[in-house]
Amino acid sequence: MGRKQKIVLPPELPPEISDDEVEVSDEDLQFVDDNRDYAGLISNLDTHSITRHVSRVADVKEDALESLYERRLRKKSLEKGKEENGLEVDRVDALPVKTLDGKLHYRTVPKTPQQSENALNGEDVGDNEADGGDKSFLRLTKAEKRAKLKRTRKEEKKQAKEVAKVGVQQTPQAEVLAEVEKELTAEEANERKKYKLAELGTALLMDPESNIKSLKEMLQTSKDEDHIVAVLGLKSLLAVFKDIIPGYRIRLPTEKEQEMVVSKAVKKMRFYESTLLSAYKAYLQRLMALKQKASFQRVAIRCICTLLDAVPHFNFRESLLAAVIHNISSPDDVVRKLCCATVKSLFTNEGKHGGEATVEAVQLIAEYVKVHDCQLHPDSIEVLMSLSFDEDLGRTEMSSANNKAKNKKNKKGKKFEEPSQLQENDKKKSRKELMSKTRNEVDADFKAATFAQDVRERRRMQSETLSAIFETFFRILKHTMHSIAARSEGISNLSAGASGGHPLLAPCLNGIGKFSHLIDLDFMGDLINHLRKLAGGGSNSAGSPEKFSRWLSVTERLRCCIVAFKVMKNNLDVLNIDLQDFFVQLYSIILEYRPGRDHGEVLAEALKIMLCDDRQHDMQRAAAFIKRLATFALCFGCSESMAALVTVKHLLQKNVKCRNLLENDAGGGSVSGPIAKYQPYASDPNLSGALASVLWELNLLSKHYHPGVSSLASSISTISSAQNQVYHSNVTPQQAFMQSSLEQELFNPKADKEKANLKRKRGSGPSKPNSSMTNLDVSSKINEDMVKKRLSEHFLLVHEISETKRLRGELVHTTSSLKLYEQYKKQKKTKKDGSKPREMRRA
Amino acid sequence: MRPLDEKETTQVFEKLFKFTGNNLKNIVENPSHEGPDPNPGRYCFRLQKNRVHYVSESLVKRATNIKREKLVSLGTQVGKFTKGGSFHLTIQCLNLLATNAKHKVWLKPTSEMSFLYGNHVLKGGLGRITENIVAGDGVVVFSMADVPLGFGIAAKSTQDCRKMDPNGIVVLHQADIGEYLRTEDDL
Repeated sequence: MGRKQKIVLPPELPPEISDDEVEVSDEDLQFVDDNRDYAGLISNLDTHSITRHVSRVADVKEDALESLYERRLRKKSLEKGKEENGLEVDRVDALPVKTLDGKLHYRTVPKTPQQSENALNGEDVGDNEADGGDKSFLRLTKAEKRAKLKRTRKEEKKQAKEVAKVGVQQTPQAEVLAEVEKELTAEEANERKKYKLAELGTALLMDPESNIKSLKEMLQTSKDEDHIVAVLGLKSLLAVFKDIIPGYRIRLPTEKEQEMVVSKAVKKMRFYESTLLSAYKAYLQRLMALKQKASFQRVAIRCICTLLDAVPHFNFRESLLAAVIHNISSPDDVVRKLCCATVKSLFTNEGKHGGEATVEAVQLIAEYVKVHDCQLHPDSIEVLMSLSFDEDLGRTEMSSANNKAKNKKNKKGKKFEEPSQLQENDKKKSRKELMSKTRNEVDADFKAATFAQDVRERRRMQSETLSAIFETFFRILKHTMHSIAARSEGISNLSAGASGGHPLLAPCLNGIGKFSHLIDLDFMGDLINHLRKLAGGGSNSAGSPEKFSRWLSVTERLRCCIVAFKVMKNNLDVLNIDLQDFFVQLYSIILEYRPGRDHGEVLAEALKIMLCDDRQHDMQRAAAFIKRLATFALCFGCSESMAALVTVKHLLQKNVKCRNLLENDAGGGSVSGPIAKYQPYASDPNLSGALASVLWELNLLSKHYHPGVSSLASSISTISSAQNQVYHSNVTPQQAFMQSSLEQELFNPKADKEKANLKRKRGSGPSKPNSSMTNLDVSSKINEDMVKKRLSEHFLLVHEISETKRLRGELVHTTSSLKLYEQYKKQKKTKKDGSKPREMRRA
Repeated sequence: MRPLDEKETTQVFEKLFKFTGNNLKNIVENPSHEGPDPNPGRYCFRLQKNRVHYVSESLVKRATNIKREKLVSLGTQVGKFTKGGSFHLTIQCLNLLATNAKHKVWLKPTSEMSFLYGNHVLKGGLGRITENIVAGDGVVVFSMADVPLGFGIAAKSTQDCRKMDPNGIVVLHQADIGEYLRTEDDL
């Protein structure tokens, strides 16, 4: 039996049951009664064609068993038959195939002109009727069938209406609809379309296999002129696709396979799959086209993203991915967030697609960065942070490779033995070969079928992903270097836009920090060199550091230092390397730090990683950092000074010798090292001679207005006197910074609004959710009263002090005047005494 | 005692530059606080019996009172010119180098003694190493407690050190403080 025949045959099946045999249930009757209008169609039944079918089928069908088979497949082939019939009836109308996919040609059939309307409808309904009858006969999902019947009738009626008005015209449906809309009110039509969409969608979800055809109808709706309807169409299609797409990738049968004789179940499946696939393809093409239009962009992107998220294993993933990656740094916030979230979820749920999509996505991103010359939104690189790598893969692969080698050896050994036995029997040998061959084939098939992946395969994918990532990272680094070099050659007017020039640098540095343990050792030298140059310490010439440092913000340079340390720390197992240049950088960066402009957390992180985590320091260097940080703590906000002081404490606890700084007399001599005098402006911590100085800053800091800072400062200054202190501060500078910046919000609620705003913007602001801000506000209000009370007490005290001062001054004044008076009196007396005798003498 | 001529100066400075890099400037411009002068003088290099000394200017002035053949040493000896005319740094300059060193190596306590007996620094004995050392650079050797022990020439760059086996030589020995005992007479 050829394939063609089979398709034509099935429709003729139903008529085998004579009309009398068909059980017409009460419901059916009632339905017909209710819809008298439709009954007209039934009366118009093309009895001739039906009888023709009956007669034709009658002589073909004799085997009962076969008929049973046929009946099972009846539904699918019926549809096909219908299609075929429709085409037979009017070839002319089948010509204006309008859809993007060739397979959709029967879509035009329902819109046939009026002349053929009756005949077609009659046939259709006849089919449907017989269908319904058959259903009831088979007692299968009767209600559903009826619903479908109802629906198709409605559609047909509507289409008939439309078509009747339009007449015979070979125009695309959009135009037809436009004309129709002149007569029908737009709203009505839209409402109807919406209802239709809903019906089609629910039907599809209920029984996708039998209703697969209505996908095309929905697709058609999504091309509607009306914006809302089109959007609705897209969305409902998305919901449907998300639900009915199978968990495997559809492979369309090849020509050869199509020619092969297959069972009906297989054929049905194939039809279903091909329809689904073509509809999906058309849908995607539609989406891709709509993506370009401004009005549809968000909807289209949302659809694409959801599809990629839901069915990354399915066909056409590449185009979906390309679309998503293309929009990953879109200027539209919503679109970008969507795309980024999708890519992230793609990276995190690798099980869904077996990692292939990850590789593709990362490679696409790398390509995208390359094409756009690193001028993208930072989000596009940040997504890479959600990647995860299985580090055990390498080891398992190694061991398995060893096993394999062993196996090979064993096999070889066997093979050497085998020939002697088998040579006698060629037949046996060939059979064995055949066996092994088939076994191999089966194995391959099994591998293809199961989702369990080869370790080697996964390893390959991981390494590809990694190489793409690092390619991207290094490209960004290099680009930054080049742009800096190019710009510094030019006039230095553009310093304002310095940080804006390389938006990708920050996420790129973060990424390198995260994946630093995966970098090949060979790359590391280059990487560190680049980082050093970026951090500002070019090793080649004295002029370059200033050149670079002028163009990168303090935060970025700090990040470079942090990344370098992370890279080194993650590869510490080999060699303990001292990154002196980066310390020099940090030493000078601390001076350049400005609280409003630069990120405090980054500084805190740098302090933690570089000064607290590192195991040993030179005494000189530690002393220099202690001194500088203490000075630094004096002149910045309390959060920064907290971070700095925590670091100072840490350093002092580790480096016992540096406690000389806490002694009262300036060291000098052998204790202070070769540099006898503290040089505050030295750029190298080793040459600053900080050991010769005294940490007088702590004394000032212990009178700091912030209680945390003052208590910490005083605790540091007593560190040496407290003997064998076991207490180790477990607060990192970062934590201290965060805590105190939080506290700060509480501390000065209204005192300086501008300042507070600045702090928020700079420090914890962005990382903190808004809800906590409101919480803070509430709690600050609560605290306000207390603050008032304290303030009034304080002012009272100050007032009293000034009052007593004044009084004391008065007292002194009066006493002095009294004394003066007494002196005057005495003088007078002596004068009197002196003058009296004279007078007496005269007298 | 006489100032170095041009050729000798370049020889000395090249050697010092290997160890200190740009910090050489600090050595030359270092103000000296010796002597009664209120304004600090500078340090300078003087040649005396094939040995180069790093002396403060005020000391140089006062040393002129002593006959050349009677003058044994002054200031800090930095190195000496060999009979062949090449310049060698000697251990006395260690303090100067350690202060301004660009490349440093820290030794594990276990391998300190081996170095002090005049052996090379092996990778196994390496406690820490500055990043960015290139083969041929001058390296100052420290103990883990930051006591300068000596100096030498890097045999491998930092990058190569990672992949080396623990018995490979990292720093070629030039001078160490053990020499104060071993070759007391020569110094």
